[in-house]
Amino acid sequence: MVAGKKTKKTHESINNRLALVMKSGKYTLGYKTILRSLRNSKGKLIIISNNCLPLRKSEIEYYAMLAKVGVHHFNGNNVDLGTACGKYFRVSCLSIIDPGDSDIIKTLPGEQ
Amino acid sequence: MVKFLKPNKAVIVLQGRFAGRKAVIVRSFDDGTRDRPYGHCLVAGIGKYPKKVIRKDSAKKTAKKSRVKAFIKLVNYSHIMPTRYTLDVDLKDVVTVDALQSRDKKVTAAKETKARFEERFKTGKNRWFFSKLRTAVNCKYLVL
Repeated sequence: MVAGKKTKKTHESINNRLALVMKSGKYTLGYKTILRSLRNSKGKLIIISNNCLPLRKSEIEYYAMLAKVGVHHFNGNNVDLGTACGKYFRVSCLSIIDPGDSDIIKTLPGEQ
Repeated sequence: MVKFLKPNKAVIVLQGRFAGRKAVIVRSFDDGTRDRPYGHCLVAGIGKYPKKVIRKDSAKKTAKKSRVKAFIKLVNYSHIMPTRYTLDVDLKDVVTVDALQSRDKKVTAAKETKARFEERFKTGKNRWFFSKLRTAVNCKYLVL
């Protein structure tokens, strides 16, 4: 298999973990709030959709680099990420503040 | 998860009269104050960058070209872009919130900041800080 290709299995597991975070943890959705979460060092993991604006994506990655926070590039666009969050709107980027029962923070950044 | 909006961090002001100018955080107020109930910081920045000095410039010309105009400002966190650079200039005693209360105090504080910035510029260190921000047209990605 080509290295770096997301198999269906791992993609589903990310979705499952994300659903668990939505249910049991704390998170914020949207560019403005995730920058705020990075500035006050509350954010623990950032997830960006694949169709996020390139300049905005690089800005979020820069902030995350300064804050030493992992960034995960979600394998799907903002519609898919919104669905994965259980929301009926599009989500381009989200920040996980408290993972709750999920192990998304331990498993994800290494995988990337 | 590391706090990075700390004193001595070089930032770029994004909004206002000094948009596009580089500044250094002197003091940060993460939780805000009564007057400003949002995260903000006191920055000292460059109003006018020093001009490029070339070898054939006379001493008088070099002195004139190396002048820096400084500004002191309280800025909202969302109006600055932090960078990976730092500037170790001791401005804590000069740049205070108290200095912003009246025009005279502000002018004297800015003059002192200007002197310290010029002194640092002349040593040749922190070149990135004293150069104008590279504005790239049609640049899709952040280049800092």
